[in-house]
Amino acid sequence: METVKVTFQVNNEKTVLAVKPNETLLETLRERLDLTGAKESCGIGSCGACTVEVNGLPLRSCIVLTSEMEGADITTIEGLCGEGKLHPLQETFMEQGAVQCGFCTSGMIMTAKNLLDRNDEPTRKDIVNTISSNVCRCTGYKKIVAAVEKAGKYGR
Amino acid sequence: MKDTMNIVGKRVVRSDSLAKVTGRARYTADLKMPNMLVAKVLRSPHPHAKILGIDLSGALKTPGVKAAVSGFDGFGIKWGVFRYTQDHAMLPTDKVRYIGEDVAAVAAVDEETALEALSRIRVDYDPLPAVFDPLEAMREGAPIIHEQYKNNINIHVHIDVGEMDRAMESAFLVREDTFKAAGEAYAMMEPYAVVASYENGFLDLWMPNAGPHVRAKALSNLLKIPLNRVRVRHINSGGAFGGRSEVAPGDLVASLLSIKAERPVKLVLSREENATSSRQVHDIIATIKTGMSKDGAIVAKDFRVVYDGGAYSSTGPIATSIPFYVYEECYRFSNVRYNGYRVITNKGIRGMYGCHGRAFLAGNEAQMDMMAKELGMDPVEIRLKNGLTSGEMTATKSRITSCGLKETIEVTAAKTDFQKRWPKTPKLEGIGMGCIAIMCGFPMGFRSGSSCYLKINDDGYVTLVTGVVDNGQGNESMVIQAASEILGVPMEDINLVNADTEITNLDPGAYSQAAAFVSTNAVKIACEKARKQIVAIAAEKLGVAETDIALKNRLVYSVEKPEKKMPISWVAREAFARADPIAATGTFFPNIDLEREWLSRPWGQMAGTFSYATSVAEVAIDPETGKITIPRFTAAHDCGRAINPMAVEGQIEGSVQQAGVAAITEGNLWDGCHLLNPDLLDYKVPLACDMPEIEAIIVESDDPVGPFGAKEGGIAIRMNAYSAVGCAVTHATGVLFKELPLTPDKVFEMLEKGTEVEG
Amino acid sequence: MILPGFEYRKAASVAEAIAFYNDFQGKARYLAGGTDLMPLLKYRLSTPAAVVDLKGIQELGAISADHGWLTIGANVTLFDLKNDPVVKEYFPVLCQSLEATSCETLQMRGTIGGNLLQDTRCIEYNKTMEWRTARGFCLKMGGETCNVVPHSRICLSNYCSDNALSLIALSAEVSLAGPEGDKTTGLEKIFSGCGSRVFALGPGEILTRIRIPMEKSRGVYEKLRVRNSIDYPLAAVAVAMRQNGARVCVGGVGPAPRVYDLTGTDAGSVRDGAQKAYTDARAVPNSTLSPTYRRKMVRALFRRAVNKILSEGK
Ligand SMILES: Cc1cc2nc3c(=O)[nH]c(=O)nc-3n(C[C@H](O)[C@H](O)[C@H](O)COP(=O)(O)OP(=O)(O)OC[C@H]3O[C@@H](n4cnc5c(N)ncnc54)[C@H](O)[C@@H]3O)c2cc1C
Repeated sequence: METVKVTFQVNNEKTVLAVKPNETLLETLRERLDLTGAKESCGIGSCGACTVEVNGLPLRSCIVLTSEMEGADITTIEGLCGEGKLHPLQETFMEQGAVQCGFCTSGMIMTAKNLLDRNDEPTRKDIVNTISSNVCRCTGYKKIVAAVEKAGKYGR
Repeated sequence: MKDTMNIVGKRVVRSDSLAKVTGRARYTADLKMPNMLVAKVLRSPHPHAKILGIDLSGALKTPGVKAAVSGFDGFGIKWGVFRYTQDHAMLPTDKVRYIGEDVAAVAAVDEETALEALSRIRVDYDPLPAVFDPLEAMREGAPIIHEQYKNNINIHVHIDVGEMDRAMESAFLVREDTFKAAGEAYAMMEPYAVVASYENGFLDLWMPNAGPHVRAKALSNLLKIPLNRVRVRHINSGGAFGGRSEVAPGDLVASLLSIKAERPVKLVLSREENATSSRQVHDIIATIKTGMSKDGAIVAKDFRVVYDGGAYSSTGPIATSIPFYVYEECYRFSNVRYNGYRVITNKGIRGMYGCHGRAFLAGNEAQMDMMAKELGMDPVEIRLKNGLTSGEMTATKSRITSCGLKETIEVTAAKTDFQKRWPKTPKLEGIGMGCIAIMCGFPMGFRSGSSCYLKINDDGYVTLVTGVVDNGQGNESMVIQAASEILGVPMEDINLVNADTEITNLDPGAYSQAAAFVSTNAVKIACEKARKQIVAIAAEKLGVAETDIALKNRLVYSVEKPEKKMPISWVAREAFARADPIAATGTFFPNIDLEREWLSRPWGQMAGTFSYATSVAEVAIDPETGKITIPRFTAAHDCGRAINPMAVEGQIEGSVQQAGVAAITEGNLWDGCHLLNPDLLDYKVPLACDMPEIEAIIVESDDPVGPFGAKEGGIAIRMNAYSAVGCAVTHATGVLFKELPLTPDKVFEMLEKGTEVEG
Repeated sequence: MILPGFEYRKAASVAEAIAFYNDFQGKARYLAGGTDLMPLLKYRLSTPAAVVDLKGIQELGAISADHGWLTIGANVTLFDLKNDPVVKEYFPVLCQSLEATSCETLQMRGTIGGNLLQDTRCIEYNKTMEWRTARGFCLKMGGETCNVVPHSRICLSNYCSDNALSLIALSAEVSLAGPEGDKTTGLEKIFSGCGSRVFALGPGEILTRIRIPMEKSRGVYEKLRVRNSIDYPLAAVAVAMRQNGARVCVGGVGPAPRVYDLTGTDAGSVRDGAQKAYTDARAVPNSTLSPTYRRKMVRALFRRAVNKILSEGK
């Protein structure tokens, strides 16, 4: 296999890597860049635990090749809090008790972030619709919905 | 006490959540160590076959492979939770008993190499006849899976109390029904993973687990390494729900590989492996015969329950008993016979589950509704009539010391207007109620208790050392909160060291609902002792009476003259100077009859206390598709006292999802020995859009022994949410449900049957 | 779970993509959003020598309305298409099927081209290599027999695209470009009817665009699934009603969608149409719900969808 040279931004840092063509973005983040916040849970795109943001869109990084990332702007959960300040979603997830085992949390937050980025007044229905992209096994989602709702209000 | 508390009872942010929302919380698969190898396991493609030979040489020759092992590298020891269930070699040498069973493994420099090496392992099998259905497996002439289990009956729990036959005969109303439920998948978001590192004769391990000490013990036995040299370390756990309670084959595999390679080894299971080869949940067939008197009192119960146990014992005796006990801890009946059979089949191993027993429990509840109707009673009346109250004994002689069952029934009934709606719900809409109790802890010999050690450092910070285990429920935060209350320091001043076999003491672990009642009690006792030491020094220094001292906001002060105060850190330093630092140990051992044994002596005090809960589900059924929607769910849990109400609500809401909505979506599907949905796509964990509006209600019965009155806050709704759904669907269709999950195809069939009966 | 080894190529034009395809002697797979392809590769259901990324082909990314057609480039994502004002106004059935496809995050990645050309699914097929080895290879994996219907020699795996159904109901056409040249054909014609080789496309052919006659329609999409997000259809029906009548398309059961042109809209025609769809549906136990039930649901959803449209019209 020929390695593929990719240049992209991860959490505002320019990164140049030579990766195997069959390497997933999740593998690159976790194994090469030690960004282990995104998790592998199902491995085939059905649960959302590996969701990161690429060019402003939430992406399931377990079914995306790093080779496809040339020029991309990537944000992971680790890059969400700038200058020691948490993202509103991180604040509200804590405050509303939306976190239990925590394994789906980073994917859930990255998915919700996209909704808040494009919609400053999401209804409860919008929120439910968006986070229905991700599986959580612990919470019953009620507190997650509440956290996203609250973070939406913070943003405004 | 409630009003005087500063932090217990408050909706506090859990101590573990900051690390989790920033992606910094470490889970096993996140660990990286110098020279670490990647392990992969070769699994059985046969449901039942003799192993004639395993040749690892091809794998060992693969460049980049540092070790390869099979059962022949072990000591031929079989593990069992009980002496009479020692049947699991983890890496078998005699035969394989299910598809996906661990057979051999390699450790290599990377995953690709490991996979390549696996393909070069040769295993010689001689396939044997196999059996997948528990009823078939029990028949004479069925293939025998373990020599020692005649008719493949692994466990037979037999309980006989009172005079069941006579009572049944003289009952006014008798009804017998059989209910079935597919086993569920734990589907914890974190697939199983383990890191093993063997160095200088010590084996260190990290894995999501519900009890590090029992793991270490098992591995010490299996590997013939002294117990003190096996150290299970603390790590975050991405969910357990009962499925991470026991030693796993992967633990042995990673350990053997690390010992061989003399390097750290990481094994991470795939989602599919997690489903096929870690633990699954029992499929259950429950036949329930009930006799009632004219006034609706349960006079006799006759149960025959068959549990499909899969290939090995696991926690068999417990799993075969628990559904019965949580039922008898809830309702009064003095004549009962319970025959529970756990049957071995050539399928994956089944363990305990947070929502264990749904065919039995939902079956009992739905049948009760049918009988109540015949007697002119409604579900609320019949439950209040038969529900246990504080001071009463269960059928097998456990005394109930605090009981909020009545309150949970009444509050959910009131909130849902249950009794008014019950007689006249619109067509294909239904409402149903499910109740349950659960023991907080159960007999585990000397492991039934917990100990905590704490010290106050010279900066006034607290180090709390306890065995308490957190699988995501919030147990760590709970003990910190308890300590914070007693010691008068904020939660962030308390460093917790927990669940590490070398450092922390024994603890029942996170699988018998004991973390609040037992572990937190131990923490509370230790903190109270330390507090006494603080108070003594401060009283002396401040020149006030000890009874006048209070602790709050890092200060020790006089209640009468609040200007008399000093920082706790000063007290701590003073204690060091007196060569008597503030440090304390607290131990709590619940009132459990340790003579009690699951098979040989199924009576005596089961646990220190019992929690209670009631769920009410409202359902609507689409007449054309049979698809159920659950618009509203109301659940009340008597948790004794909510240490963190937000955490208790979170448990209730999670239970509504995992047991309640799961009752219409979740079940493992099989084609004989092949698990058809070992993934998160065809296995239907409910999504946000599938969830009802949930009202979580906390009832506080204030247990006399529980810490701050607490009992448990994690399980009870998990054990009755499906009952509420089963009852509601029965109510909506007029046809007693018989099988879970109530997927649209099954409901549609019920509707067709219902119309046949009508028309 | 790691992917098998393959080379990666990114094409800037359709011609370049076809050239890459030829470079690898046809042992290449086209990659759009990858939401269907990547899981297949992870499971080793396909082990190409190369994947050829089509996302760099600008011309496949546009939506345009002219000459009486709405033309949609194959690379347009489901999410963008769903939010397109013309689609909203003219083709409600498509809007509904897009909304019902998988989940929002996947709609943002998945393309319409990939959606139409997704592989068929079967509960005994979409599994890891280890699982399938233990089970024995089926027809779709090059084995001798079907694992769902013993002794069957035809594969009845399910075609699960939601949007093919609404597009067919809207009489959409697709344009294909391949080593042998370009062509345009009715969408319903690209199916082979056989689950083990789903499409009747030539080797290396690329779906470039989809076009729908620009005529306002009324429409209803009915999808049966256990969870209301993420899940593929267990049975689904799309109906589009225009001036010249109603077209119904049934899918999720069997390897190809089935089309029914409704002759009348009276109760009798609806009943007959639904009954015909029921008779035609060949449901076998290859998904999570019982086949008898899924077959009945074809009939139920057919009736429901058509009746909904009719009652809307009143
Ligand atoms: C969890 C999950 C749930 C899903 N649920 C649904 C669902 O409910 N309904 C549904 O319809 N789909 C569903 N999908 C499938 C998939 O996400 C969508 O169908 C999506 O639109 C596929 O588009 P893609 O761009 O990702 O396709 P890709 O995966 O990139 O491609 C799919 C196939 O088409 C080929 N291909 C792609 N573009 C072209 C082209 N222009 N020319 C020739 N060949 C091409 C590829 O080689 C591949 O064989 C689901 C997927 C997942 C992972």
